[in-house]
Amino acid sequence: MAATMRSISRRDEMSLAEPAALPVATSAAPRLHVLKRFSSRLKASLPAYFLLLPSLVFLALFTYGAMGRVLIDALYQRATPKAPVRFVGLDNISAVLTDPAFTGAVVNNLIYAIGTAVPSIGLALLFALALSRTHAVNSALRAALFLPVLIPMVAASALFLFIFLPNVGLLDYYIGRLLPVLPNWLGDPDIALYAIMIITVWKNAGYYMLFFLAGLQAVPEDVMEAAHLDGAGPYQRFRHIILPELKPTFLFVTVIAILNAVTQVDHVFVMTQGGPSNSTNLVLFYIYQQAVEHYDVGKASAATLLTLAALMGLTALSFRTMANREGGP
Amino acid sequence: MLFSRRLMLGLAMAGSMAGALTFPALAGEGPTEIDLFFPVPVDGKLARDMGSLIKEFNETHPAIKATAVYTGSYDDTLIKTRASIKAGKPPAAVIMSANFLLDMQIENELTNLDPLIAADGTTKDQFLGQFFPALQGNAVINRSVYGVPFHNSTPLLYINADKAKEAGLDPNKPPQTWAELTEWAKKLTRREGDKVTQWGIAIPCAYDYCGWMMETLTMSNGGRYYNEEFGGEVYYDTPSMLGALTWWNDLVAKHKVHPPGATPGPAVSTSFISGNAAMMMLSTGSLTYVRDNAKFAYKVAFIPRNVRNAVPIGGASLIVPAGQEADKQKAAWTLIKWMTSPEKSGWWSRATGYFAPNMAAYKTPEMVDFLNKNPDAKTAVEQLDVAKPWFATYKTVPVRKNLEDEVMLVLNGKKQPKEALAAAQKAADETLKPYNAETSLKLP
Repeated sequence: MAATMRSISRRDEMSLAEPAALPVATSAAPRLHVLKRFSSRLKASLPAYFLLLPSLVFLALFTYGAMGRVLIDALYQRATPKAPVRFVGLDNISAVLTDPAFTGAVVNNLIYAIGTAVPSIGLALLFALALSRTHAVNSALRAALFLPVLIPMVAASALFLFIFLPNVGLLDYYIGRLLPVLPNWLGDPDIALYAIMIITVWKNAGYYMLFFLAGLQAVPEDVMEAAHLDGAGPYQRFRHIILPELKPTFLFVTVIAILNAVTQVDHVFVMTQGGPSNSTNLVLFYIYQQAVEHYDVGKASAATLLTLAALMGLTALSFRTMANREGGP
Repeated sequence: MLFSRRLMLGLAMAGSMAGALTFPALAGEGPTEIDLFFPVPVDGKLARDMGSLIKEFNETHPAIKATAVYTGSYDDTLIKTRASIKAGKPPAAVIMSANFLLDMQIENELTNLDPLIAADGTTKDQFLGQFFPALQGNAVINRSVYGVPFHNSTPLLYINADKAKEAGLDPNKPPQTWAELTEWAKKLTRREGDKVTQWGIAIPCAYDYCGWMMETLTMSNGGRYYNEEFGGEVYYDTPSMLGALTWWNDLVAKHKVHPPGATPGPAVSTSFISGNAAMMMLSTGSLTYVRDNAKFAYKVAFIPRNVRNAVPIGGASLIVPAGQEADKQKAAWTLIKWMTSPEKSGWWSRATGYFAPNMAAYKTPEMVDFLNKNPDAKTAVEQLDVAKPWFATYKTVPVRKNLEDEVMLVLNGKKQPKEALAAAQKAADETLKPYNAETSLKLP
């Protein structure tokens, strides 16, 4: 009531100052204009939409459709095996959040994300700095460092399974002479997660090196030369020129590394199945266990939704990072 | 317009593709087409053996066209079977890990085979009578047949005979009790200072294997792992299992003759083959691998007892998933009967190292010949006299994992057996709760 009163009174005020027809005309014209512009734009972009249609159909079928299904499944649960599924709202989500196995998997995943991102990025930067000049030897070394990226994770895991074999594996064969007790790399809950992390670092450092190599190409040569002439040493040039120039690359690679830490669990499947005693259980593997071993679609879907939300947050971050890179200094 | 011409081309292609997809479904004449899902749990060569088996079936049965679909591990096969049942297109037959049958029956995913047996004019007892009695427990649920045993195993004690002789032990008189086995393991362990260069014995512990070995040790200690008659109970917090886990832990921590931590099956067999472990407990399914790779004389023996001689079975059964059309069900039944016949059963056993579930297979001349050449394959069959069913409960895998996680903590010296088993029992009771709520605890 009060709002209408006010609007009436305002219109009265306006009508006092200007002819009454004018505001109507100005408010109608843009709407018409917008409609017209929209339809003409649609006409112009219609072929584009038609061309996009096939991929849109497949995206809808295999990506958005599946996501919608997960969203629905996450809201349903059955109380006992023979009971029909019924709507339970957010019960599945809260069941996942109170499950110690899930919180354990989240903690493992955090340790895993930090423990793989930091060393692999550090190594990648080191490799990139060492091999930034292009000549035959460096190219060969770059190829050697990039090689692990080309090996599929499953194949790499199968290889490392033999390297980590207690007593008879490659690692124990060489390290065994130095240590008093041979560690059971994948069978000891204190060590297993770190053993898994070693593979990830080995596999990803070469990949991230590529980004840093590209980033180093963008460091302006004239600035470096000027710094050199001004008597800046190698450390000063690294600290004050190279590092600031590489900032967008750092951000981008960090996001990629964290995304990888959530989405790459092939080696967990092949090597430990989340064990021993859940010590290498990561979030994605937890979802697999809920869906397959527990046959609990509701809980698996709820955990998927939570992971999806976290991943989407990260993706948004990565888009912002990329935007920063384009508009950056 | 260029654009519209492209569109027409696209539409034409889409149309022809859709036609190609729908036409075979319309053509109803010809042989009944059925799919068989099969896992390869031991060796990649098996996929080829299965191919030749199915080819032979198709050549001898022109009315049926069976296709063998490789579906990965036992666990993967369960996933893919469940996914295809959900999608409304279940395979006609599946080779399914024998201890998944109960869980699938509880979830209404299995076809009751009784009517198919009755249609053949045989009785259930006659039909089951073909198979070793130890295998029937995992195939029969609530007195109805839900699975047909296809390839099976038991755990065995493998002994490096050369190392035994070196240590002054007679490999022809293998240890029969836990006490003797402990003595053997002590004598077979070699040390350099504190460092062990040769382990006396290795027992695998990874998800799946660990639960099976716990059942083995518990049974030879007089116990039962689970309630064979009802899928809602397991017996983790019991004296027989406490004794079993304590002995296993003593081998690691007290006698220091068993490598510490949880070691998966392939690592144990590699350790045995390389001479790093002088004895191991492993499935009969590994016998072919050991026979082909061991560069030393080896012996296989029964699992030693503390209270009684008893072992669980392992392996897989053929099942027909629920929701199958009648004609395909019939075709699948023909395939299943053919695959489990004495001749085929024996052939598969010789190719894989599993034993043949059909007792008549051991009377075929090929099998008699094979056993004369490989007397070690006989031990597994003889041990069947004391074998019992593989644990199967509601949600078999999570209930098993509840125990395995705790056993792994014990073998790593992080928990004592008593408190570990109490924790395992509590966790398993929680997992079994929904099933008990609608069975044993649903009261009038």
